[in-house]
Order: sequence, then structure tokens, then C-alpha cells
Amino acid sequence: MKTYETTIIFDPGLEEARINEEVDRVSQSISQASGEVVEVQRWGKRKLAYNIRKRRDGTYIHIKHKSPPELIGDMDRRFRLNESVLRHLTVLAVKESPRVEEPGRVGEPAAAGAVHAASPNIEEKA
Amino acid sequence: MAREGESRSFRRKFCKLCFDKVDRIDYKDDRRLTRFITDRGKIVPRRISGTCARHQSQITEAVKRARILALLPFTSEQYR
Repeated sequence: MKTYETTIIFDPGLEEARINEEVDRVSQSISQASGEVVEVQRWGKRKLAYNIRKRRDGTYIHIKHKSPPELIGDMDRRFRLNESVLRHLTVLAVKESPRVEEPGRVGEPAAAGAVHAASPNIEEKA
Repeated sequence: MAREGESRSFRRKFCKLCFDKVDRIDYKDDRRLTRFITDRGKIVPRRISGTCARHQSQITEAVKRARILALLPFTSEQYR
């Protein structure tokens, strides 16, 4: 079982209830495949960087889930067939690594940067 | 790195992400990513931004993903 992040952009014209319905359907398919929904984020209506199917906005739903890899292809196909889904993307979730706090790993170049920051008007260079 | 007698002010580039101690760049973080694309929507090359190899490849991947999700443009409106 792998952890995935799936982001779905729904048609902005869709009502709240319809979207909940769609999300439920996705969650169901995950649990049916003995997966697990970790988290559902609702980003709400957002402006798209470019028009998709003549829509300027989209309702974003972000689902983090543990699923068997076989499910992903199936999920992808269903999103494609679903008219109310403008766009979708599933990627492997990055593991929260404990080494973030570990000094010296990212530290070396950062320390070099710090030396420069110590000198004045470093901020000017964008 | 600036040679002596050089009139033009020259500052050594450094990786801003290393400076901020960013461990991983997220494709969902479109606000941070906009700093690494040009006004045309292109990914800023390392030689311009000074980003280190590790972070640059992370940026590249993140920008490409963000483009799919229409968080970032493939190209800007006026050049289309």
C-alpha cells in the first residue's frame, strides 16, 4: 500500500452537495480496495491559471490516501470519463522525513548563504 | 569571487532555497513557485536564479505538476 495525493478540479458550477457526492464516491472506491483515506482538503473555488474547457475557476479537492497501486489506474480512468472533473492529478506523497531537523545535511550551502546574508544589501538581488 | 578593480558590482549567487533551509518544494505551494518562473511562465534557469542542483530539480518537478493543476500557467495570457 502506498500513500498518494490526488487533486481533483471540479467544474465550478457544481453545487456543494454534488461535490460531496463525488468525493464520497472516490473515498468509497478507496476503502473498497482496502485502502484508507488519510485526509481530505477542500481548497474551495480557485481561479485557474489558464482556462480549462472554457472555465476560469475550479473547485479543488485534495485527497491524501493509502491505496493499492492497481487502484490508481482505475481511478484515473474514472476521472477521465467524469464530465464534472476538469482536471486531476495523482502523485506519490512524500514521506515526512525526520531528517529535516538534522543539522549539516542541507546545512552546508545554507551556511554559505548565511555568510552572504551577513553582508549588507544582499536582499536587493532578486 | 569579484575580481579586484572590477567596477561593476558583482555578487555571488546563492541558492535561496538552501538559505531558507527548504527541505522539499511542494507543487501545491504555488506562491513560492511563482518566484522561479518568468513572466512568460518559463522556469528560471539555474544560471539566473543561482539555485542549487538539488533544489532546481525539485522546482522543475513542482512547477510541472502545478501547471497540470492550473496553479501555474504554461504560458502567460498575453503571449498566447
